This record gives sequence, structure tokens and C-alpha cells, in this order.
Amino acid sequence: MTTLDNRVSSRPIPNPSKSLITKLNAGTGLVVGIIFALGTYYLLNNNSSDDATVNFQHYNRTLLASMLMWSVGFLVGIGAFIGPWRWLIGKDLTAEEQLYLAGDGQGIKRYFKYCTDHKVVGIQYLVGVITMLAVGGTMAMMIRTNLAMPGGHFITASVYNSLVGLHGITMIIAMIIVATGPFGNFIMPIMIGAADMAFPRLNALSWWVLFTAIPVLCSAWFLGGIPTGWTAYAPLSIQAGPGMNAFLATIIIFAFSTAVAGANITATVVAMRAKGMSWNRVPIFVIGATISVALAVPAFPTFMLAMIQTALDRTFMTSFFDANFGGSGWLYAHLFWIMGHPEVYVILIPGVAILMEIVPVFVRKPLFSYTSAIVGFAGIAGLSVLVWAHHMYMSGWMPMLNGPFMVTTEMISIPTGLIFLVILGTLWNGKPWLKMPMLCVYAFLWNMLVGGITGLYLSDVPADNYLHGSMYVTAHFHYTLMGSALTGAVAGLVYWFPKMTGRMFNERSSYVAFWFIQLGFQVLYLGMFTAGAEGQPRRVVDYADTFHVSNMVSTIGAYGVGIGFIVLLWGVVHSWRHGIIAPMNPWGAKTLEWTVPYPVPLVNFDTPPVVTSDPYGYGKAVK
Amino acid sequence: MSSDTKFHVHHDAPEVIGRRERLGVRLLIVADGSFVFGMIFTYFYLRNLNANNGWIPKGGHHFSAASGWMSIYPLLLAAIVFKIAQRNPKTVGNLTVISLLAYAYGFYYQIHQIANMPFIVKDTGAFEGSYASTWVLMAGANVFHYFLAAFIALGIVIRARRADVDPALEKWRMRTAASWFTWIAISGVSVALTTSFI
Amino acid sequence: MSDHNAPELNPTPGERFTKFLKRKDVLETLGWAVFYTTGFVILGGKFYTKWMPTMMSTDMRAIERLMVIFTWISAPVCGFVLSMATYTFRHGHRGDTPPEDGPATRTNRLGISLFGVMSSLLALVAILYGLIELNSSAEAATKDAPNAMVVEVTGSQWVWSFNYPAQGVTSNELMLPINKPVIFKIISEDVNHSFWPVQLGVKADANRYQTTTVQTKPNKLGAFDVKCAELCGLYHAYMETNGAVVTTADFNNWVTAQGGHTA
Repeated sequence: MTTLDNRVSSRPIPNPSKSLITKLNAGTGLVVGIIFALGTYYLLNNNSSDDATVNFQHYNRTLLASMLMWSVGFLVGIGAFIGPWRWLIGKDLTAEEQLYLAGDGQGIKRYFKYCTDHKVVGIQYLVGVITMLAVGGTMAMMIRTNLAMPGGHFITASVYNSLVGLHGITMIIAMIIVATGPFGNFIMPIMIGAADMAFPRLNALSWWVLFTAIPVLCSAWFLGGIPTGWTAYAPLSIQAGPGMNAFLATIIIFAFSTAVAGANITATVVAMRAKGMSWNRVPIFVIGATISVALAVPAFPTFMLAMIQTALDRTFMTSFFDANFGGSGWLYAHLFWIMGHPEVYVILIPGVAILMEIVPVFVRKPLFSYTSAIVGFAGIAGLSVLVWAHHMYMSGWMPMLNGPFMVTTEMISIPTGLIFLVILGTLWNGKPWLKMPMLCVYAFLWNMLVGGITGLYLSDVPADNYLHGSMYVTAHFHYTLMGSALTGAVAGLVYWFPKMTGRMFNERSSYVAFWFIQLGFQVLYLGMFTAGAEGQPRRVVDYADTFHVSNMVSTIGAYGVGIGFIVLLWGVVHSWRHGIIAPMNPWGAKTLEWTVPYPVPLVNFDTPPVVTSDPYGYGKAVK
Repeated sequence: MSSDTKFHVHHDAPEVIGRRERLGVRLLIVADGSFVFGMIFTYFYLRNLNANNGWIPKGGHHFSAASGWMSIYPLLLAAIVFKIAQRNPKTVGNLTVISLLAYAYGFYYQIHQIANMPFIVKDTGAFEGSYASTWVLMAGANVFHYFLAAFIALGIVIRARRADVDPALEKWRMRTAASWFTWIAISGVSVALTTSFI
Repeated sequence: MSDHNAPELNPTPGERFTKFLKRKDVLETLGWAVFYTTGFVILGGKFYTKWMPTMMSTDMRAIERLMVIFTWISAPVCGFVLSMATYTFRHGHRGDTPPEDGPATRTNRLGISLFGVMSSLLALVAILYGLIELNSSAEAATKDAPNAMVVEVTGSQWVWSFNYPAQGVTSNELMLPINKPVIFKIISEDVNHSFWPVQLGVKADANRYQTTTVQTKPNKLGAFDVKCAELCGLYHAYMETNGAVVTTADFNNWVTAQGGHTA
């Protein structure tokens, strides 16, 4: 919680050898976590009843508790509770211990420890996100392969449903952290001239908590999968098999991580900015990331609540969602979408903000109308909490409120328009430097245009009568989440790669990946829009022959996207190991992160920077 | 959370750190508040919907409105005591013992209430209806709040005796703790008020 | 948008506008804008009419019309965005060194105001159109309700069944007489389903213990599909059945054949 003085980095490696801290790492976390999980399993597992329903409840209870205890055990084992414990007994961590926790001079080992350095956490998030995207993408390829031909004989219906759900939730989790995880942790504190995050230990906590969710989610495969899709609508989720517990535990763990990370990032930006960085001088990525995580702080707890209620229904026979005993599936939909709709903007805003950060650098012009950008983000975030029931037009829940929700939803197009205005205004009269990050800006303009306009149809109640629950919806939100937010994150990866790894991203692979991904993407979702317009429901393992052409087109596009991402992954690995050594400021940008060398010193800046203007002072003076 | 040594100095004044920590806690309060709001929403939503007359089924049981207040008054008491205690750094450790005891008692009492719920179906162990479900969820949230509060209060009591701390920073931390205690008292009152509408 | 090459003598707004229009980049951008807008207008007229299925009710006709009109409303937006993107992309800078700095324009009040007004107006048009459409379908439904036929739809994993209370018929196929308003009362026996008679352009979820109602009036003879639009478990994809809109006489024959009674 204390900023370390710059003198510390020149000190010999501290070795508080008596302390337990030095002995704990991800390995001990793994061991203790497994002991906790197995211990819980054997303590609780007790199928003594004659009643199959009671046994099933018991089994669910055992599994869920074991999964949560795995997470707790891992955190115990990696030393997450040392800080609170030392606080409790009145022996606060000493300066040496804090320095040790920050990973000073520990080389590659610190990536496997409870390391509080925001740069280490950023790299951990980056590797985690890439892994999750790769897994989720592989699932997507399997889904598309199955849908290439009517008949759906590639995989069974039960595996298919699981794939749909696991692809969905893996990608949603990955997308929520794709920008604010790696770049929000590694780059953002440097961008605002801070020495670290506001709460470094919470930062480490948010990553390692998230880490424990990954094996839990993977375990769903071995427990029979999840049949519910990522939305996990009740009561379907109540009757689902044991794999559902993995889903519930994952979300409970993940929501906790998000709340902690959200509070931490927000506090950092509010309280840790460099001297002179008034609110009108904050880089736009920082603004976007902060609005996004600040929106996540109140949004995710309702998701967690919905999951806890589902878990109680499954394990203790409560009836939150069981209509036989006074529950309601509508309640689930409410709680889910009160989180769910803000969540898509939690994903979208940081991605867009990265692109806004990139445009001025590559066009060599100031960001056009900084105020509009902030108003746009804030307007989207503000309206996003008032639109959740547009997912429930057809649910039968109070049709009289469909009109008002349609109005609020369509009003979101106005702040969204401002985002286009800012980017276009910056482009206009400029000569953009067409490097890969800049190409992503163009891809974003097209993808967000399509995603936004198709969103307009969907927000309209009469049209939604037809489109709701069809492939059209799937194509729409992939345009916004993947075509817009992920494109922004990929641009950010190439843009900040030099600062995060010290090497330039391999250019040829970045271009090849870009064109494969973006062109394949258009083919993929053009096919899917068509299938939706023809009337194909989403999440189906099989379809009628009439939809064959559009699905085949879609699958061909998917393979293009797949190739593109494999090339991109190769680019990441290859450039990280063999890339050209990057200069300090390869793009000639004016934000603070480009003023520090690689490797970035432990406390980022030798002397705390003083900011005198916003970072967009490009361009020749206008007469 | 550290003391000054030759190895490192505070860049930031205790006030800066204090404010920052308070901001962090306030943000976590927003998150927790959203959770509590969700529970209250659940309660009234299911109560008004009363699907299949399952809110309190025929012949079902429920707690009295007073029992909700019985389980949260320690929250109020502890928060008020602490609010007074934190003003004086010299006595905060002693007075907080009262808060700690209140939290410990509340923790015990809430678990005792859960253990004696009247609305469990004997044969299956199921809950009778959606009233029972929402009730146990809220009681569970109270248990969580009590546990966390007891942890913090215990820390304050111990630290007042043992810790070698920067008094200026510690004062800020007491204020931060006070805002958490106040929040859980508010949350407890909201929950008790909610369960008063049976 | 920018006035950076304005002459030293303050020109009138009219002169400035003419001069702005004569700029090479503006002209090319306008050309692209016309191209894209026309493109989207044509596309909007073709895409949905080509790919959406047969319209068998006024609701479905209204939906298709709405899709087309919304595309037209958004065509100028596409024109605006894509023309500026295309122009700057065509005149972009390639190479390994950064381009020269552009003009340091930070804002443009006129541009922002115009954009704000235009985008709000377009959004308003879309909102109003949607509200009017919603209202007119609700009005039509109220008018038709008294002489409507009731069909009770029950969704269960993974079949639809239809009960005609007035006729005393229960069936797994949905037969509807032409030009007769029909009210579907939808309920589920287990998890959530979504009742979707595709070509009729209506949809409503099936919930346990909560009846949802939706109304339409088929006006074209022929077969249609009934599907489930809410993931409902293992065989969700196969939860579909046949429906047909038939003449009143055929409907009565069908009812009799099923052992029911015609009113």
C-alpha cells in the first residue's frame, strides 16, 4: 500500500529468509488447493440416502464446496492471506517483505508467485487471456465444423450444447479481462505516472483468484458439461447435471475477482495520477478502462447473486427459480441481464478506448473532441444499466414495459455515435500511418457500424419478435464483442507489445493475421446473419436443409478466422522470443508509458513525472 | 501497511494513503450494496409474483417480523459504539471490544436462527417456498457480514495493543473501518426491513 | 469540416461553405458517401426481402418492412462513416517512418453540433417508428381479440402440443384457419421454451406456471414451421413441428377428423 522509493531498486536483493513469504509460490498453492479440494470432497461425500434426488443434491453440494475450497486452498497456499493475517495480529509487513512481494530481482520466478508488481500481473493476465481465447476459439471451430452440414453428426447434441455454453462463458470471461487485464494492469499505471496500483496486493489477489477459476471451468468437461449456454437460464440450470457446479463456482470466483480488480483500478486512477494530470489530461484509454471497471463493480455482484441462488436451488432445495414452489425463471433473467447488459459495455468500452488512444498516434493529429469521447463513454455506461429488459421482450414478463425499454435501448445509439465522431474527426484531414494497429481502427469502424445497426433492429420490439433467439442475434453480438472489442484489444497488443516484451511485433505476421481474421470474420457472420434472417434459431446442433448454404458460408469464414488467429498466436510467440529489439518509443507517441525504458523499473519512473499537457499535442498549428 | 525503515520511505502522506484506502473500501461497499440490493429485489419480486402460491405455501411456516430485527441489532450497536470509539486513538482498542463482542454474538445468533428454521420440509430437507429461500439467503449474507466485521474488529483490538503503527495513518484506517461498519449496519437494517413484509 | 485554409479576410459562412465543398478531399468523400448510401439503400431493399421466409401474417409483413426501413434510415450513417474511412484509408501513409503531422484540430463546434443533431434525429425517427409500429399492432390485436380463436400451446422437453379448447382438439401439429385471429396461450411444463411459428412473425416464451399470450392473424395459405427459440436442453434443436394455414372448410374438416366439434 506504500509507494516504494526509487532508491530501493539499486539495493541488493532483499531476503527476509525467516519469513514464510519466500517459500510460497504457485506450486505450494496448487498442493494446498488440491488438498483442500480433496479433503472437502471426502468429508462431504456421502451418498447414504435411498432417495436419488437427495443424493444428487448431496453430490452437487460436495462438488461445489470442493471447487470453492480449491480456490480458497490455492490462495492460502500461495500466501494471499499472509497480508490480512499479519494485519490482524498487528505485525504489518515490513519494507523488505513488501519489496520481496513486489518481486524485486527475482527474474522469471516472480511470475509464479503472489507478486504485487503491476507489470508482472499484467503479463500474467496477458498469458491467461491468450490461453482462454485459444481454448474458446478452438471450441468455436468445433461448433462451426459441426454446423457446416445439416445433420450435425460431427459431435453429439450433449457435447454440442456443452461446447456452446463453455465457448460462451470462456470467451465472455476472456473478453471482460482482455483489455483491462493486460493493458489496464501493465500499461495504465505507467500511463498515469504512478509507481504501482493503489492496492498492489489486491492486484495480485484479483489475478490469482481468476487463475483458480480456470481449472474449475475446465473441470466442467469431465463432469458431463453444461447444457445451458453461457446465460445459464433457470430452471434449465437447476435440472442440469454435475458439470453445472463448475459453471457456478467459476462465476462466483470470477465475480469476486472482478469486484476486487474494479475497485483497485478505479482507485488507482482516481488517487494515483501524476502531478499535473488533471482530469482533462488523462489519456482516453485510462478514462475508458476506468469507466468500464467502475461499471463492472456494481454489475457483477448481481451475477454472483444469481449464481448463488442457482447453487442454493441445486444443493439445498430452495426455490428461487423453481415455479412449483414460488420461484420464477424471470427473476433469474432479471438478475442475469441487470449484470449482462452493462457487461457487454464493460467489454466494449476499453477496446474502443484502446483504438482511440491509437488513432492520434498514427494520424499525427490530436484526438478530436476529447470531451465527446468522455460523454460518449459515460453516456453508454449510464444508459446501459437501464436497458436490461430488452433481452426479455419475448419472455412474457410485463409486455407493457417493452416500449420504454425499446426507447432507452435505441437511445444508446446517440452516445455510440459520438465514438464514431471522435475517431472520424481524428482521421479527417490526416494521413494515417497504415500499420497494423491502424488497420484495426478501420476494421473497427466497419464492424461496429454493422454491429450497431443490427443492434437497432434487435432493439425494436416488433422486429425482435422475429429475430430474438435466432442466429441473427449471435452474429450481431459477435460483431460488437469480437469485431469491435477484440479487434481493439488485438490492436493494443501489437501497439504495446514493444513496451511489454521489449520487442517489436513481427510485422508480416501481424498483417497476414489481420486480413485473415477480418475477411474471414465478414464471411463468417454474413453467413450467420443470413441464417438468422432465414429463421434458424441459435444454439442448435442441427438445422433444416434450407439453411445449408448460409451455414456452409459461415463455416468457411470461420476457418479463415481460425487461420488468422493461429498466425497471430505464432506472431506473439515468435516476436516475444526473436523479435527485433524495440526502441523506447517506436510509434512516436506522447503518453507517459513510452518515456520509460524496457525492462520497466520496479517503480516505473526514476523521478515521478510531472504532467503539463494532455498527451495529444500532435500536429501543426492551425491558422 | 508498513512501518518506516531505512530501506524505504513513504512517498505519500498518511492522508493520501488514507483517502485512497477509504476510496477502495467505498468501491467495495458499492459492490456489496449491489448484492444486497439484488437480494431485496429478489424478495419483493418473488413475494409479489407468488408463483403457484408458493411464497408461503398452504400450511407453511415463517419467521415473525421481529426476528429479522433480533438478528441485526448487534450490527447497529457495534457500529454506533465504534463510531464513538474511533474518535479517540487511545481508547479505541478497549471500546472496540464491545463491538467485537456484539459482532461475535450476532454471528452466533444468526447461525442459531438458521439452525432452527421452521420452514424445512422434514422428509426431503427442502425449503417450503420462496419466502423461506429468500430468508435463508439474507440470513447467510448477514452471517458473512458478521464474520468479516468480527475479523476487522478483532484486528483493531489486537493492533491497538501490539502494532507499531503510524498514528496518523491508523486514524484514517479507523475511519475507513467505520465506514464499512456503518455500511453493514445499513445493509442489516435494509434486510430486516425487507423481511418485515412477510 | 476544417477551416484551416480559410483566407485571411473573414469570409461569409456561405463563401466558406462553397469553398469547403470545392476541396478535393471533400468532393471525393462526398462521392464515396453517395456510393455507400445508395449501396445500403439497395442492399436494404434486397437482403431481407430475399432471405426472410414467406410472410404469412400482417405481423410478419410489418417486421420485414421495418427491417427494410431501418436499413434505409441507417444508410446515410453508413455513408458518412464509410466515406470518411475510405478516403483517409486511400490517402494513408505507408512505410516505416511516421507520417508528417496533420493539422492540430482539436474540435469543431459546427461539426459536432451538426453530427449530434443528425444522429439524435435519426435515433428519434427509429424510436418513433418502432413505437408507432408497436402501438398499431397492439391496436389491431385489441380489435381482433373478441372473435379470436384460442390455442393453448404447451412446451415440454422437447415437444410442442396444441390444445384447441373451443373445438376440443389436442394435436402436435398447429392447424390454423386463414383470416381468423388467433390467440396463443403459452405455458411450459418444465424449463423455459420459446414458441416461434416462424412465418407468422410472432414469438413468446413458455414459462412454468405463467401463461404468456401472443396474438396474430394468418393471412396466407401454406405450411409454416414451429420452432423453439430458447435453449431448453439436449434436443432443443429438434423441438420443432409443422404448422399450416388452411381454409376454414379444411380446418373444420381437420377438427372433425381429430374428433373435435366445430362451432
